[in-house]
Amino acid sequence: MAAILPAAERVLKNRVGWYAAAVALICLLLVAQALPAVVNGETVTGSFPWIPSLQVELSFYGDGLSVMFGLIVSGIGILIMSYSNEYMSKREDLSRYYRYLLMFMGSMLGMVFSSNAIQLFVFWELTSITSFMLIGYWRNRPMSVYGATKSLLVTAGGGIFMLAGFLLLGIITGTFDIVTILQNGSMIALIKGHELFLPALVLIIIGAAAKSAQGPFYIWLPNAMEAPTPVSAFLHSATMVKAGIYLVARIHPIFSGTEAWFVLVGGLGIITMLAAGFLAFRQTDIKGILAYSTISQLAYMMAMYGYTSYQYPGIGVTAATFHLLNHATFKACLFLVAGIVAHETATRDITKMGGLRKELPATFIIGAIAALSMAGVPPLNGFLSKEMFYESSLEMGHILGGPFEYLIPAAAVLGGAFTFAYSIRFIDGIFLGKRRSEHLPKHMHEPTPVMLFPPALLAALVILIGIFPSAAVHYIIEPAASGILLEDVQLHVSLWHGFTAALLMTIITFIAGAALYARYGAIAAWQDRVSARYPAWSFNSLYDRIVNGASGKSTAFAKVMQPGPLSPYLIAMLLIFLLLSAVPVIMIAGTLIPTELNLEVPMYEAVLLGLIILASLGTAVLRKYLHAIIAVSAVGYLVSLVFIYLQAPDLAITQLLVETLATIIFLLVIIKVPQTFREKITRSVLARDLLISSAVSITVLILLLNASQGIVSPFESLSYYFIENSVPLAGGHNMVNVILVDFRGYDTLGEIVVLCLAGLGVYNLLKSRSDSK
Amino acid sequence: MNDTLLSVSIALVFGIATFMILRRDLIRVAIGITLLSHATNMLIVSTGAFLGGRTPIITGDKAVSTGGTFIDDLATGILAPVIPDGIEIAYVDPLVQALTLTAIVISLATTAFLLILCYRLYQEQGTTDVSEIRRLKG
Repeated sequence: MAAILPAAERVLKNRVGWYAAAVALICLLLVAQALPAVVNGETVTGSFPWIPSLQVELSFYGDGLSVMFGLIVSGIGILIMSYSNEYMSKREDLSRYYRYLLMFMGSMLGMVFSSNAIQLFVFWELTSITSFMLIGYWRNRPMSVYGATKSLLVTAGGGIFMLAGFLLLGIITGTFDIVTILQNGSMIALIKGHELFLPALVLIIIGAAAKSAQGPFYIWLPNAMEAPTPVSAFLHSATMVKAGIYLVARIHPIFSGTEAWFVLVGGLGIITMLAAGFLAFRQTDIKGILAYSTISQLAYMMAMYGYTSYQYPGIGVTAATFHLLNHATFKACLFLVAGIVAHETATRDITKMGGLRKELPATFIIGAIAALSMAGVPPLNGFLSKEMFYESSLEMGHILGGPFEYLIPAAAVLGGAFTFAYSIRFIDGIFLGKRRSEHLPKHMHEPTPVMLFPPALLAALVILIGIFPSAAVHYIIEPAASGILLEDVQLHVSLWHGFTAALLMTIITFIAGAALYARYGAIAAWQDRVSARYPAWSFNSLYDRIVNGASGKSTAFAKVMQPGPLSPYLIAMLLIFLLLSAVPVIMIAGTLIPTELNLEVPMYEAVLLGLIILASLGTAVLRKYLHAIIAVSAVGYLVSLVFIYLQAPDLAITQLLVETLATIIFLLVIIKVPQTFREKITRSVLARDLLISSAVSITVLILLLNASQGIVSPFESLSYYFIENSVPLAGGHNMVNVILVDFRGYDTLGEIVVLCLAGLGVYNLLKSRSDSK
Repeated sequence: MNDTLLSVSIALVFGIATFMILRRDLIRVAIGITLLSHATNMLIVSTGAFLGGRTPIITGDKAVSTGGTFIDDLATGILAPVIPDGIEIAYVDPLVQALTLTAIVISLATTAFLLILCYRLYQEQGTTDVSEIRRLKG
């Protein structure tokens, strides 16, 4: 899909966004196809093998949960793509933008319909990567790059933990197919009783928490707001951050009902909910407020999924699922509204806004609906799921008993009050109050219908689901909850339950929220003071320290490892060579110098070797290149004599020819360069090099002397084969030649290839001329 | 191979080659690498040679029957293949020679390449001193 995009762009020019929206629509229709089946409690599957040896296959599985996610992703996708048409300026690289968006949508859909854990992981990381690209879409803004890097490190890092968790599950059950595990009661029982249960759970929850910005991993989401606003609406409120929630819901049947599950998921959710709600006070950036509210709303769902118990497993799950849908509607809507406001006022600072209701009446109405829904005001859909949240909190507190009976509902109410406060602030700060015109452009006008329609539609949904919840519940929530709970769920949601404890909690929430809002400035100021005083006490600074520390350390490491000049590398290599060869020899031989020395040598050999040593020394001490080169070719010719002495005529001939050629090349080169090169060797360098050279020399000597001392070859030499078969098999009498061209012909071919490559390299080097001349 | 003088010489050439490779001047480095390959070739060939061995060229119709392993006979100080039935093999090891022949040719290729690099470097940078070359211009 994404691949066709550039082609489509050439046809459509600036209307490429509509094409993308059409793709999303097709996805929506495809997903919707599955809806009737899912409502009837069936599932849709399809698979083909991918890495069969590892039991990894590309298999797709759709149940209520997947379909609900699919609908949210593609539905919001359509709206976002349409909205972007107007939001993104025409000068941008639109093709890139929509390509990433579509890639993201594809991987998200792939993820929720994956039935295989490994496949799920692959798509999971794909969403991380596309998210990274979208956050960093404005490449030249440092903050964009920072936010993108942060999100990638945190979410993808969490993904690695998740993969480890899946692998543990695979070890326990012997399969990576989640569906198989889900449909197999005995397997679930096996997992719950297994010793690896807790590690697997912890690892997977880390992955989910990182993706959904829960707990200490929340830090990436506020920075991700550097992305274009439609992206924030799509990825960082409605879909991608829900992936962690999806994962929690997906593994719910496997892990839930245990104490560890409640502590990890529920506890994490409650703490994050309170912390994020509290931190939202400090934000002055309208998108920052929304980011923190997203974190806290996601934490609601986490908490609710964590609230499961054996007696009433369904309450938390259905509430969370319902809230998931509702949150997608109102939060995406709010982001789009924030986008409009930022677009019109050219700022995102809430302190500079106010009184925009006159200029942007429609935007105001839409934003107010969404924000009130978030605050949990009836008759909007946020109210319904909030009520269910309170109910399930009461339930859970009741089941746990003891101090929890009051603690959990109290925490829920406090979280709700925070939510209420920042929701009201969003409306009040932007649309109500006095207009601070000095910061704002003179003429603002309502955006075009293209930009207004998507949020309007979402706001309409907010109202509709609020007033007539039964349809959404029946077609979407019930199947989804059934998919999580693995049993049929019948749910009745209505606006008026009568006067219940939850309603009372809602009323308390509103009062507390209003009170909090009244003290808004004071709380924010206090937070500012605290963070100014203890800058090192935040997860953000921890992250920064780790990342910057890592890059700083690696730079230092590279400076040590890659100093530039040649000699340090060589010295390092030589020292390692010394270590590796000297130590075993000493260990095997026991003594360094063998006692059996053979000093009886013929005269001519002594002369020959003496000359070699002399000539070699000559290369080192002679100043002029010409002299040194004559010395080195003398060594070469002497070596060919040594070969004759060692009964190797072929080598001697070859060595003669090669040495002649090498000498010619040497001479040709030094014609072109100055005749001498005075290297000023300091004493310390000389001492160092002499030391290393002597060490090498002595090591080689010890090796050679020991090689002739009683080391019995552990296997028969290959040479006998060649000696015996040279004539019968190859018909050649010169064994060396036969080996080269017959028995080991490929080696020789390789040698010829090396020669050719060197020749080509030389030719190209000679042809290349830099332009600087 | 148990020829102490040869061993000493090879070891010395190794040492000198190492010293040359550590120089800053690339031409001297090239000389050092040439020396290093000479030393290595001599070492490898010498491992397969022994006193009284014959050149690995078969003169008769077929090779002398062999079998057994090279063992070190300390009494004579000669590394020689000892055949179970007591017939000594007549040839030095042909395999090491074949390998060395390949090595000789390849070392020529690398040396030539390195030298041309030196030459081009001098053309571009006006020096063959590696420590002066901070940045390779294209």
